[in-house]
Order: sequence, then structure tokens, then C-alpha cells
Amino acid sequence: MSLKTTYQKRCLAALLLFIALLIALPLLLKGSPYIVNVLIVIFYTTTMSLAWNLLGGMTGQNSLGHAAYMGLGAYIGALLITKGGWNPWLTIPVAMLIVGLIAGVVFYPCFLLKGPYFTLVSIAFGETIRQFMLNWDFAGKAMGIPLAYGKPSFLEFRFHSKTPYYYIALVMVVCVYLLMRKINKSKLGFALKTIREDEDVASAIGIKPMKYKVIALVISAMIAAMVGCFYANYNRYIDCDLMLQSFSTEFVLPAIVGGAAFVEGPLVGGVILLCLSEWLRNQFGGILPGINLILYAIVLLCVIRFKPVGLLGWYGKSKAKDWVDHKILGKKDKE
Amino acid sequence: MSEPIIRVEHITKNFRGLKAVNDLSLTVEEGGITGMIGPNGAGKSTTFNMICGFYPPSSGHIFYRGKEITNCKPYEYTAMGIARTFQIMKPLGNLTVLDNIVPSAFFGRRHAASLAEAREIAKEILEFTGLYAKKDVLAKEMGTPDQKRLEMARALATKPEMLFLDEVMAGLNPTETDQAIELINKINESGVTIFLIEHIMRAVVSLCGKVIVLHHGEKIAEGTPQQVMNDPYVEEVYLGKKKENG
Repeated sequence: MSLKTTYQKRCLAALLLFIALLIALPLLLKGSPYIVNVLIVIFYTTTMSLAWNLLGGMTGQNSLGHAAYMGLGAYIGALLITKGGWNPWLTIPVAMLIVGLIAGVVFYPCFLLKGPYFTLVSIAFGETIRQFMLNWDFAGKAMGIPLAYGKPSFLEFRFHSKTPYYYIALVMVVCVYLLMRKINKSKLGFALKTIREDEDVASAIGIKPMKYKVIALVISAMIAAMVGCFYANYNRYIDCDLMLQSFSTEFVLPAIVGGAAFVEGPLVGGVILLCLSEWLRNQFGGILPGINLILYAIVLLCVIRFKPVGLLGWYGKSKAKDWVDHKILGKKDKE
Repeated sequence: MSEPIIRVEHITKNFRGLKAVNDLSLTVEEGGITGMIGPNGAGKSTTFNMICGFYPPSSGHIFYRGKEITNCKPYEYTAMGIARTFQIMKPLGNLTVLDNIVPSAFFGRRHAASLAEAREIAKEILEFTGLYAKKDVLAKEMGTPDQKRLEMARALATKPEMLFLDEVMAGLNPTETDQAIELINKINESGVTIFLIEHIMRAVVSLCGKVIVLHHGEKIAEGTPQQVMNDPYVEEVYLGKKKENG
């Protein structure tokens, strides 16, 4: 890419500045594990939302059971570590493979259902996996699985400070985002978007809808499994509450609020929603328990009611973008 | 006589108790434009959907270049060189006009290897169909005439040898109809065989070499436009019975 105009130069500068800020943040926040923890939660929730968006936003198959894939990944990872004595890093690809396989094989027939019926089955699927783990002796039943503490070591995916987890989560979210960008502009991405808009059209131009829906699901589930493994190693304890329905919803909201039609939607939505929810909890949680959740719900309702295309859909056509483009980034009208 | 590009033998389609198409046989000759007309509910679109694999026929056989395709799935048709449009337009609403054509370039017989190549093919098709100026508009924001054109452009981008057009001129005004006729002729001249359903007789007469008339799911006449228009039974179906001593 050649950088000729001021606009392009300043865009690049802004991007580099942003990356530098992300890298420097833990150093700047030295001594505040709380904020670093919030950032880590933002990173992995956003990664989950990106994964959901591949299936929901790009393919138009709204799943409300994504926590199950994440939970499965976490359980497989944790069981291999505690019972099998595996290296934590090694469990990640294995968990991704197994969960991808389960998603592809078990969930395959569910794509015969369309629209809301698919969504309903995805809820049932998530709940089934959760109940299974809740009643399986080997997986610790309701006790969950604790991971051993010990000397911090990169090889063991075990650190005392939160900073290393921060960088691992950052790498994870950036890689998944870049992958989604790549898919969005690829043959696969266009197949998925065609299926989202109209399955008959997809068939009429040679796209096999079933095949591509399953591909999207498997990729999405594999990313979820990876996040699950990270979650298990970060929290060092998992139980089946990880797969609760409400958790699945948390991955859907950032994409919808940010703009499900955009690859960046889940990122923007994730940062805004999680900061908001954290701030509300701090400000109002102590005054009246639960009030933070009510306020959170009101904000959500407003976004969905007034900006159904998501924040990015609104920003793309707004005066705010014009202002930023012209005044800050120095864009000329002709560009 | 050489093998026709499409040969349909005795196909029947029942929707529960309703016989939409009954024992219909027809052929489409390569290189020409064949038309299918008939009153509403005659079974024209059902016939198209059967030939294009969207509804499997209840009985009968369909052949493409002598090969049986009766039970092929819709997505298998593109590779064979068959493309279609839909009577009720199905634009990919949230994508731009250019991006509406890109999937066809990827999955059609042009087999674009990259997005850049697919966009080049899409631009070429948009030039050909006269939509180039609107390439950055969202498909859902266009009017009927342009959406009809987009249907044709999307089908063409798969590089078909056989094109099914389902009422691509319905809802167009006379000027737009003339433009559509011109476009269909241009497509045909580029070597694509066309089979179309149309209500606008002016278009049928000026385009088609052969016309098939359907009524209550059965073929009642076949021939050149002049022949079928002078057929007494066709006249009766369209205009009603002449009063005997009227």
C-alpha cells in the first residue's frame, strides 16, 4: 500500500499509536491488577464475539449456544492437563480439533432447521452439554475442575502476574480479528454472505449452503474452544456455570451493539459494553444491588431500538465520521 | 436432428392434491431464445423450478445436452453451465451491486482465484448489463428495473451456456422493456441459449423464435409467435370464448 495522502499517513499513525498503547498499557497500569483483569476479560469476550459473528453476523445463523463450545474447549483442556498430565499449550490445538469435530458432526443436522428454529436448537445444545458436564463424575460434577497452582512458568501457562495473560489474550484477539478480516474478503466470506442474504440465490450460483454453514460453524467453534482453554488456564478453575445461557448472550451482544455486519463490530461493541458494565457495577452496584444490570439493559434497549445497524453502521454514515476524517485525519473531499 | 440443449419428458408436479404441471414435454434448441407464456397459475414458474432443480418433479425426466439431470441439486447446475433468475427478485440487499456479482464470479465457471479478479469480472458484467454506474449502491436501495437487471447480471457472471429468465420484464415501463429486450438480445448474441417466461407479448414476439403456451399445467400450443397467437384455443384461453351468434 502506498501512502500518498495526509489522510492515509494519519490513519496509519493513529493505528500505530493505538497498537503502541495496547502494548504499553500493562506497564502504564503497573500495580492495578483490577484494570488489567478487566482488559483481559474484554479481550477474550471480544474474541468469542468475533467467533460468534462469523456464524451470526456473516452467515446469518444466530446461535445462542456458543458458551457450550467455549465450555467444551475449557473442559477438554482442563481434563487433559489434570488427568492426562498434558502440557497446557499442547491441549489447545487438541481441544480445538475435538470441539470442531463435535460441532461439525453433532450439529450438522441442525442446519436443516432455519431461522428461529436453528437458534432454539442451539440453546438446547448448549444446555445439554452443560447438564452432561454437571453430571459427569470424571469431570468433577458440580465441583468443577481446579488447575494446580505452582511456580510461574511460560511452558506451564501459569503466571502470578496478570501481565503475561494480558499479552497472550491480546495476541489471541488480534489473530482472530485478522483471520476474520481475511475471511470477510475471501471466497468463503462471500459464500457466507450470500447464504445470509438468500439461500436460494446461493444455490442458484453454485454455492452449497449446507457445506458452507458447517464450515463457518466449525471455524467458529474452534475459536471458541481456544478461548475456553485460555479461560481455564487464566482462571485456574472451571465449572459448568461457564456454559450458562446468559454467558452465550454475552458473546452475542457486543456483535449486535457494535454492528454485526462489520468485522470490527464485535471489537467496538465489546470494548464499549464491557467498560460500561464494569463502570455501572462500580458506580451503582453498591447503592442498590442489581441496579447496574437494569441500567445496562436500558442502554442495550436504546441501542437496539434506535441504532439497529449497530454503532459502526451509524458511525459510517454520521457527521462524527466526517468530522474525524476531515479535522483530525486531514482527509480531502476528493478522496 | 441434433440433440436439443434441454429436453423435458412427461414431467408432472403435484403439490398435495393440486396438479401444477401435468405430463409436460418440451425441448429448447441450442442458440435460440425460447419463450413460455400462459395465464397466471398455468405452471410456468413451477416448470422452471423443476428444470432448475429447486422442486424435484413428481414424475418424468429432464435432460441437459442428453444427460439426465432430473434429480440434480440446484447448486450443481452452475458447474454445468446453467443459470437462472428469480421471478420475485432476490438481490443480496445488504451488499453493494458490485459485491452482488462477486460470489457468482467466485463460484461460477469463471473460477476467480482472488477478490481482485472476482471484482474485475463483476465490473465487466456490470458494464455489459449497464449497471456499472450504480456499482457502489446497496442492492436493496435500487428500483425494480435495476434489480431485474441485477438478477440477470448475477446469473450471467457464472458464465452460463443456458439461461433461464423468469419474468425479467414484469413491472417495467415501455422504455425499460425496450432496454431489457435489447439486453436479452445482446446476451443471446454472445452465445447463450435463453429460455424465458414472459407476460409482455410485445417482448415475446420480438425476441422468441419459438413459443410454448401453458394452460392448467399442460402444453396447449407450440410454434413461432405468429403461429401460437393465431391458434384458436390460445385465443380462447387468453380472450375468452367468442359468442356464437353474438
